[in-house]
Amino acid sequence: MNRESLIQKWLDHDLNPQELEAFKQLEDYDDLMKLNLELQGFKANALDTDASLDSVWNTIKTTHNKSFKLLPTLSKIAAILIVCFGIYYFTTSLDTTANTLASEYKSLELPDASKVDLNAVSTLVFNASNWDEDRSLSLEGEAFFNVAKGKKFTVETQFGNVTVLGTQFNVKQRNQYFEVTCYEGKVRVSTTEIEKILLPGDTFLIIDGNYIATEKEELTSPSWLNRKSTFKSIPYREVIAEFERQYNVSVEFNNIDGSQNFTGSFMHNDIEIALKSITLPLQLKYSKTDNIIRLKRE
Amino acid sequence: MSKPLKDHICEEQLFSSIFRKYSKDLYDFLYYKFGSQLNPQDKMQEAFVKLWENCAKVPQHKAKSFLFTTANNMMLNEFAHQKVVLRHRQIKPKHSTNIDPEFLLQEKQYKEKLELAIANLTEAQRVAFLMNRVEGKRFKEIAEILGISTKAVEKRIYGALKKLRQDIDEL
Repeated sequence: MNRESLIQKWLDHDLNPQELEAFKQLEDYDDLMKLNLELQGFKANALDTDASLDSVWNTIKTTHNKSFKLLPTLSKIAAILIVCFGIYYFTTSLDTTANTLASEYKSLELPDASKVDLNAVSTLVFNASNWDEDRSLSLEGEAFFNVAKGKKFTVETQFGNVTVLGTQFNVKQRNQYFEVTCYEGKVRVSTTEIEKILLPGDTFLIIDGNYIATEKEELTSPSWLNRKSTFKSIPYREVIAEFERQYNVSVEFNNIDGSQNFTGSFMHNDIEIALKSITLPLQLKYSKTDNIIRLKRE
Repeated sequence: MSKPLKDHICEEQLFSSIFRKYSKDLYDFLYYKFGSQLNPQDKMQEAFVKLWENCAKVPQHKAKSFLFTTANNMMLNEFAHQKVVLRHRQIKPKHSTNIDPEFLLQEKQYKEKLELAIANLTEAQRVAFLMNRVEGKRFKEIAEILGISTKAVEKRIYGALKKLRQDIDEL
């Protein structure tokens, strides 16, 4: 056995008695022993394991249990609450929107039991969350309102606002056409130019920006609620536009004067009869292919 | 069938037994590697506190490497790579008779040389060598603690011994 492997075995505390004898015969044995003895002076301080463990437990239990474990839990709870509240707040403060497609009607009740009937191709937007404070909604299209008594009730349209206290009225806003009819109570209509108070039977009508005086209305509710559109001296193109909305068709009337006034009505439930109702008085003929209707002079 | 190892160590008893098993080795490792300036006992204890905080995430068989890695990193964060000088403490002489002043001087010089020579060892050599010589650990035990092969431990220790003797002779 050579010197190097003896020393290695000695290092690994792995010498058998014979090898130990051989190791002792090595010339550097004394040297190694002296080194080994002196090395003991570098020994790490003795560690009191139990005391040390106690101190670890102390640290864990004092600082970490209280602040470090409670805090994340609390902040988790807080975060969940914030998210829940946020979602609640966000969803309840969102505007409610109701809309109708062509040849569709909708009846809805507002948070204060006011009723709204929505005619075809119309959109109504209101905020249910603060309805008690602010009874206002915006309308595009035509709707009939039966307003429960209470605070000011406002319908906002592109042309102006309609304000009431408790009443029944119809608002129709289409392109350049704005019509408000009061059926019960008192209604105030205000546009940028005109402000007018309507009594039952009064109609406020603006076409192409011009105010048009109209006769007293005798009906107690708008005729469209009974699935019938009625017109009194209304430009023919408005009649056609209403017809298109009620039957979801498109009507072409190229060489016919759309601004001539029309008085009459058409039903919403039979397109043939309805077409006759709007063409015969003006002595027009119609042809129908799919959803396109062409009107011609006779 | 052997009892399956726990996949977490969040039990006080299990944790305590892990402490008893590894605290001394971890402390020695830190001391021989970084010296006493950075308080190896504190770092060892901090590593165990960290282990408890993460007890749900650390499976039992990973506890040792978690401890050593954590403590080592904590040390490295503070350690500015200055040279580690381990202090030689006076060992009580076995025989206090015949105090020869020249002998005492020689002893003193030898110790100084030894201190310097140990400081000149590489970190890896010093840790393995002192664990072997001072703590009396066998190659295999050191290999387990350091997570390296027995052969590598043997190389480090033998290398350290050679370098040490060479240095002492030269100085």
